[in-house]
Amino acid sequence: MNKSTIALIVLVIGLILLPFIQDSRSILILMTQIFILGVFAMSYNLLLGYTGIISFGHAMFFGIGAYSIGLIMRYYEPTYLYFLFAVVTTLILTAIVSYLVGLLTLRLHSHFFAMFTFAIAGLFLVAAEKWRSLTLGNDGITFKIPDFFKDRVIFYLLSLGLLVLAYLFFRRFTQSPFGKVLQAIRENEKRVESLGYRVFHYKIIANVISGMIAGLAGIFYAVSLRFVNTSVFSTEITLDALMMTIIGGVGTLFGPILGSAIVQFAQYSLMDLAKVHWIFERWVILFGIIYIVVVMFFPSGIVGTVKTWFTRRNKQILGKKKPEGKKSMESSKADAMKNILKGEVDG
Amino acid sequence: MDAIINITINGLATGMLIFLLAAGLTLIFGLMDVLNFAHGALFLWGAYAGIWVFTQTDSYLLGVFAAVIIGILLGYLLERYIILPVYGNHIRQIMITLGAMLVLGELVKVVWGPNVMIANTPAILSGSWEFSGILIIKYRLFVIFVGLLVFLGLLFLLNRTKLGLVVRAGVMDKEMVQALGINIRKVFLGVFILGAAMAGLAGILLGPYTGVVYAEMGLEFGLLAFIVVIIGGMGSVVGSAVAALLVGILGSFASYYLPDISLAVNMLLMLIVLIFKPSGLMGTKEAVK
Repeated sequence: MNKSTIALIVLVIGLILLPFIQDSRSILILMTQIFILGVFAMSYNLLLGYTGIISFGHAMFFGIGAYSIGLIMRYYEPTYLYFLFAVVTTLILTAIVSYLVGLLTLRLHSHFFAMFTFAIAGLFLVAAEKWRSLTLGNDGITFKIPDFFKDRVIFYLLSLGLLVLAYLFFRRFTQSPFGKVLQAIRENEKRVESLGYRVFHYKIIANVISGMIAGLAGIFYAVSLRFVNTSVFSTEITLDALMMTIIGGVGTLFGPILGSAIVQFAQYSLMDLAKVHWIFERWVILFGIIYIVVVMFFPSGIVGTVKTWFTRRNKQILGKKKPEGKKSMESSKADAMKNILKGEVDG
Repeated sequence: MDAIINITINGLATGMLIFLLAAGLTLIFGLMDVLNFAHGALFLWGAYAGIWVFTQTDSYLLGVFAAVIIGILLGYLLERYIILPVYGNHIRQIMITLGAMLVLGELVKVVWGPNVMIANTPAILSGSWEFSGILIIKYRLFVIFVGLLVFLGLLFLLNRTKLGLVVRAGVMDKEMVQALGINIRKVFLGVFILGAAMAGLAGILLGPYTGVVYAEMGLEFGLLAFIVVIIGGMGSVVGSAVAALLVGILGSFASYYLPDISLAVNMLLMLIVLIFKPSGLMGTKEAVK
């Protein structure tokens, strides 16, 4: 067990104890949101950071999840059985949609995929708005949930559980041979193709997995609000995921979680500051600038940059004392991350 | 009959506005393979600055002038400081220009406040003509006229001048043009600024057309222009003109006859094009890897 694993375990234990130490309701809700959108950003990162494809329509999977639970809870009964039914529905629907979208577009250049997903998500948004008899349009629907989920602390722990599971899943997944092929596609698609891998299949599977996990995040999001409206399909949701991923660290496991925490915590605290001076209402500017600076100067985001610093420092300290080993492996990994965005992605 | 003619004119005017945006985008992409998602911001700033000058000075001409100038200025800054560092990498271009779009969109709210801005129609262009019982709004014809003028001017520039020759050659084979001793970066900067000026012009033209401008329309129209560029084929000016008019006319007919799906029409059109002819109606570049 290395240092970072221990640090993560300590962090998780700390987060489990958090609701018992302090009892501010708004902090608890904020943390829950951070966990849920962290999962969403992680699923986005699988595409952007690990496979090198950019989606403008990731909100559609989020929205499918949110609407599945919302509609089923409202029109059937808020029981555990129907809750499970909603989860299964979400997984099946997101799998089908992401498979079809991938089938149609993953052969094309990256910007076509971006625009195609943007269009599909736009169609979902329009459908949710216009199918008023079912969705009540932009007014949205409120719904009841099983009593178990109503308790804020329990739901907080459940969301944390989802986050930890998603983290472990992605860690295992990206280190698996399959994940390695995805990262190779990101680095040089043509070379992977010429090595005999069926790039298209790998991309589709990555898209399906990413979509299904985004759908799960959508379920949790809707349950946390006990309300769902068309905003879950909006481009802003996708852009949020993009921003969280970039700021935290593209192609790193922990980056999207950190990004989610930073973006939402800043939103939360800047909202209070808005009363002090109106300029804080325009916090998007601040984020936009940070975002541009990160893309331009720190393409590997916060986590990636810090990792590079650490490995560099370790190298200097250790000098020639330590033979080539784990550290140099890590540093080459960090270099690779830095190159994610720098290198030619589109052949 | 009355309705059909008016809807067509409406669609043509909208189409022309979108064309002014899409023409710049398609050239920028064709020449340097640059995806610019901040194009809508130039349009937005053109609209706000132009209308602001127009209401302050009461001169529409000055407003147009201001819109074009602000477009040129922002276009220059955008190309030099945002796009130049990310040449050759689509994903970074998409991300960084989206960031620029967010910043510029919010800055509009800082400068002119978060509320919508009312735009009046200049006196000389307000009102309407009547042709055998059909009312035609003057300003819409004016927009179509300006759009047509820009389209013809652009075609002349591309097909009849030395600069146009270089640009067309650059779209076909960038390396070859460079090998012949032409600084393609400079040409590209010129094209980018031209596109930015057209975007600014589209902004000020839109103001009196819809009556109000708002900060979110930057991203909205930017993405719409992108849809048009994809439908028309990336790199083709004529293609984006055809696609823009198609989108404009289909959109205005749909919002009259099928208001429920009018929002989805553009998306559906793009999906159909992407599925059956991913390189676009008149695109020359390969879309499939």
